[in-house]
Amino acid sequence: MFWTVTLSLLEGFMTTLELFALTLLFAIPLGLIIAFGSMSKFFPLKWLSKTIVWIIRGTPLMLQLIVVFYGPELIGSWIGELGIDLPFFQWLAGMKGLDRFPSVLIAFVINYACYFSEIYRGGIESIPKGQYEACQVLGMTKTQTFFKVVLFQVIKRIVPPMGNEIITLVKDTSLARTIAVYEIIWNAQKFIKNGGLLWPLIYAGAFYLIFNGLLTIIFNKIEKKMDYYKN
Amino acid sequence: MKKTLSVVLAVLMALGCMFALASCGGNEETTAAPGGDTTAANEETTVAAVADVAEIQNKGKLVVGVTEYKPMDYLDENGEWTGFDAEYARAVAKELGVEVEFIEIEWDNKEFEVESKKIDCVWNGMTITDALKKSMDITDPYVKNAQVVVMPKDKAADYTTVESLKDLSFAVEVESAGKGVAEDNGFKYTELTYQSDAILEVHTGKADACIIDLTMADALTAEGATYENLTKVLSLNEEEYGIGCRKGSDLCTKINEITDKLLADGTLDALAEKYELTLVK
Amino acid sequence: MVLAVLEVKELKKSFGKNNVLKGITFSLEKGEVLSVIGSSGSGKTTLLRCINSLEIPDSGQIFADGDTIFDSVSGKKLTKAEKRRNQLNVGLVFQQFNLFPQYNVLQNVTLAMKLQAKERPDYRENKKAILTAIEEKAEDYIAKVNLTDKLLSYPCELSGGQQQRVAIARALALEPKILFFDEPTSALDPELTIEVLKVIKNLKNMGRTMVVVTHEMEFAKNVSDKAIFMADGVIEEMGTPEDVFENPKSEKTRAFLSKSFE
Repeated sequence: MFWTVTLSLLEGFMTTLELFALTLLFAIPLGLIIAFGSMSKFFPLKWLSKTIVWIIRGTPLMLQLIVVFYGPELIGSWIGELGIDLPFFQWLAGMKGLDRFPSVLIAFVINYACYFSEIYRGGIESIPKGQYEACQVLGMTKTQTFFKVVLFQVIKRIVPPMGNEIITLVKDTSLARTIAVYEIIWNAQKFIKNGGLLWPLIYAGAFYLIFNGLLTIIFNKIEKKMDYYKN
Repeated sequence: MKKTLSVVLAVLMALGCMFALASCGGNEETTAAPGGDTTAANEETTVAAVADVAEIQNKGKLVVGVTEYKPMDYLDENGEWTGFDAEYARAVAKELGVEVEFIEIEWDNKEFEVESKKIDCVWNGMTITDALKKSMDITDPYVKNAQVVVMPKDKAADYTTVESLKDLSFAVEVESAGKGVAEDNGFKYTELTYQSDAILEVHTGKADACIIDLTMADALTAEGATYENLTKVLSLNEEEYGIGCRKGSDLCTKINEITDKLLADGTLDALAEKYELTLVK
Repeated sequence: MVLAVLEVKELKKSFGKNNVLKGITFSLEKGEVLSVIGSSGSGKTTLLRCINSLEIPDSGQIFADGDTIFDSVSGKKLTKAEKRRNQLNVGLVFQQFNLFPQYNVLQNVTLAMKLQAKERPDYRENKKAILTAIEEKAEDYIAKVNLTDKLLSYPCELSGGQQQRVAIARALALEPKILFFDEPTSALDPELTIEVLKVIKNLKNMGRTMVVVTHEMEFAKNVSDKAIFMADGVIEEMGTPEDVFENPKSEKTRAFLSKSFE
């Protein structure tokens, strides 16, 4: 039995890890784009970025999952019922949502990109003006300033909050089960449903704990590595 | 160059935002729009739009939403779906000339799953309630069920009337038929995600008793089953199972037609005997 | 007539309702050292920041080494390339050093040079030679500020005076026509001030054109060829150090000097 549970949980944990890794892969750069958007001097872009961040941070991730997964078809069928005979409306009516996993991934990427963007923004805005001015009088371009001077300092500042958020992400992946993506908690709960076995759920907790332990070690290492200088 | 990029980004974000808003607005509609017994009205408005049977035959498979729910739908030792509903669904699919694809869903989202066409129907020992009739078209009832009170065997002797249950704490599934009868009888209850959670509460002593489906109670408290220390003491009402299809779908009528045929040729009787269930005739 | 290397005419700048510069006019010849003194809020730092393009003036003209930095009279708009060239014509040493904390001394000095070298057409072919040349040059300048033994130290490991000397080397390495100092010793303890002032004095001896905003009156008096006393956004007094420090004409200058030399 222990072996069956372990295998089932491992299988679920693979999905958990896949969701975790892909979310990070896409959300980290997307967050930077949103961060630049919300710091932009171009007002519509700034307003939009801030609105998106507000909506995404202001609503539960679970709701976002449902909107991404079920939304397109639902909207499609309502628009279809309107019976408007225009190509654009017909296209809308025919909207097809994505599969379960891609939907979860999209919702997670958008959600986490918004949270990351706020961390980035905080980091970027905490860099003293003098650093930018020093770069300017040394004749560096804005791009050079950002990538050669500012970015590294920002990274050093955001590693601790990012570590926090990333560990939260590991645990948030369990929300994927609301649209029936079979991650580790789903698999663990099956043992409760079918046989009243409680311990697989606790056991699943151990998977999270070990993985987050590893992440904590990695983040500590990164922090140490960047500790060769003080601001 | 930078300006252009900004504009492009802005437009992209605007589209995304519109989409998000549209989706949010839309969801409110589902919960609010259909009211009362509107089956007839709905058929009028959407008859042309929902030719599900043809689409199912086109794609060659009937997508059935299930959860693990003995003895209606569950996985056998080979990981294949079996149970009364699973076999019943296969028999219907055979008549339609298609295969069945079972998808395990989150029960809370069954209405979304059906409405968004992610699945064609919910076929999972679903008790017919007025609330469900508002969000789905439900087939004619096919199996009889009841909401029964389940509690530890050693206490069962003291509770033989509804009156005697008044002071107990109950566990029920969220928004389920069991919750309905608990409310009707004025019981104190806690709502949980699944019936299996409800019975687990009793098993672990968090609740004195639970109200769950008869079929499930029988399966779970049988000799040698997980909860053989528990027993059913009272049946609080009688009810029936139905298959949930999308509003206005022709699949609902089609399943009814095929069911009549399966009743006539004895297929369903054989299944009912195999899984110890009582058919509605 | 000797050609002025820096010319500022009728320069005005305000922040909101606050008129910080109310028409500043002066010029500087090659090899000259100019001291700018005055109490805080008199506009000295803003003047430097305008010349170094860190602030955009409201009106007036600035020319450095014959190139236009700002000109509201002709209304000339600068191209990006011109702006960059202007930026390199002038160098600025900040009060707060503004070293890059993640880079060591050598890297702080070489960074801007290395980035510029990338634009050279022969960069790819001669990459190694170019980079070596840059490092040698950087080491030379670091030697000029007496920090050869700190080549691989990080700013956080240096004293304030050492950091300011690195900042000077970093500015010098780009070989600006004019080097500006914005209160270079204000953030330093007195004993560290001396080492920085010594470096600046040495630079004068090497013939550098410099503008020094400072509170060090003795230094200003002894090192500069020209001095300006600013008060409330105008030049109150301008001339040789002897004129300004020994025989000030303006009442304000006298008051300021007597307070400073107390």
